[in-house]
Amino acid sequence: MSKVKFFLQQSWLLIVTSFTFGLLLAAANAALQDKIVQNEQQKLNKKMAELITDANDFALVLDDVVIQLGKSKTVKTDIYKAIDTEGNIIGFAYIAEGPGFADKIKLVIAVDAGLTKFYGFKVLASNETPGFGDRIKDEFYNSQYAGAPFGDFELVKTGDNKKIDSEIVAISGATVSSEAVIKIFNSYTNQVKEKLQAEGLIANGK
Amino acid sequence: MANKTDTVSLSDTFTAGLWSENPVFRLLLGMCPTLAVTAAVKPAITMGGCVIFVLLCSNIVTSLMRNLLKPHLRILMFTLTIATFVTIADLFLKAYMPDMSEALGPYVPLIIVNCIIICRAEACASKNGLAVSIVDAIGMGLGFTLAVCVLAVVRELLGTGKILDTVILSDKVFMPWAVMVMPAGAFITLGLLLGLVSKITNKSKR
Repeated sequence: MSKVKFFLQQSWLLIVTSFTFGLLLAAANAALQDKIVQNEQQKLNKKMAELITDANDFALVLDDVVIQLGKSKTVKTDIYKAIDTEGNIIGFAYIAEGPGFADKIKLVIAVDAGLTKFYGFKVLASNETPGFGDRIKDEFYNSQYAGAPFGDFELVKTGDNKKIDSEIVAISGATVSSEAVIKIFNSYTNQVKEKLQAEGLIANGK
Repeated sequence: MANKTDTVSLSDTFTAGLWSENPVFRLLLGMCPTLAVTAAVKPAITMGGCVIFVLLCSNIVTSLMRNLLKPHLRILMFTLTIATFVTIADLFLKAYMPDMSEALGPYVPLIIVNCIIICRAEACASKNGLAVSIVDAIGMGLGFTLAVCVLAVVRELLGTGKILDTVILSDKVFMPWAVMVMPAGAFITLGLLLGLVSKITNKSKR
């Protein structure tokens, strides 16, 4: 009993403060969460529109899709369809994430409606090293994905970055970040295809 | 008489943070954000605002509970307090300044480990009343903000020829020094400004 009393004497302020601050954070989160989610959705829509420029609108077709990342790790993602002015599906976009050099990298990847080629990717979140890893956003690296065939990519240290194929030329000084993006692409490509086929959104033969 | 003494004390406390005990130029605290967010003026001002908010809230809470603090639990209490207000500042930026939140990246959450805030909680707020703690927080916070803004003005001007997106030095008369917006530029500018402040201080002592 005396031990409990001693514990409470020593830590009551910590317990009360933790509880109070917890409530304060919950209130702040409740007040701001809707606005944060709205901002994130606007950012996602903007990035998707930059990737699929002919799209008139985007609509969520599959949410909470489970993607296996290996070693029994799974992550949930959302898949959007891009619709043109006549209501035709002209492509799909999905959120993909994986470990980078410094922190998690979160991308939005866009593919055409027949899953034959990528429109490219945009970075939603990344804390890669400024001047090195964060150059995954730059044209030198990013443009290599625009129009590349739908399938797995391979990283090469030297080559022509203007040539659009499944070989991606690494950023000098940022091989880990360059490879991280490829791993994210490769982890999602086949699984996204299977999910879309399973839902009948693309032909099974493709 | 008592009022006069208090006024002098508060005034000294306020000005100490701005010059004689400036956290950046005299105490060399908070070097991480000082070097990381000073490539442009806008993020520097935002970081300064966040530090003032967190410092003010942390000093108020610490001062109010200073008589209840157990010496061996005080650092835990300071960290808990600081982390709470940093999280609120981070949520606010994500909700109302999403672009700036993205630009500042991990440096807003890293205010939790900013030495200035824990130093003021330990050296001032845990030993003084509410008025002194508030004035100390404002003085130190403004001192930090001014210091990072001075660095940012020099770096942005020499690195891009602009300040707050306004062209000051046109391309015709000035070729921007790219190094100034790189990490090396932060170290060079900080070193030169520290030397300048030291020179002025030594001169005034004589």
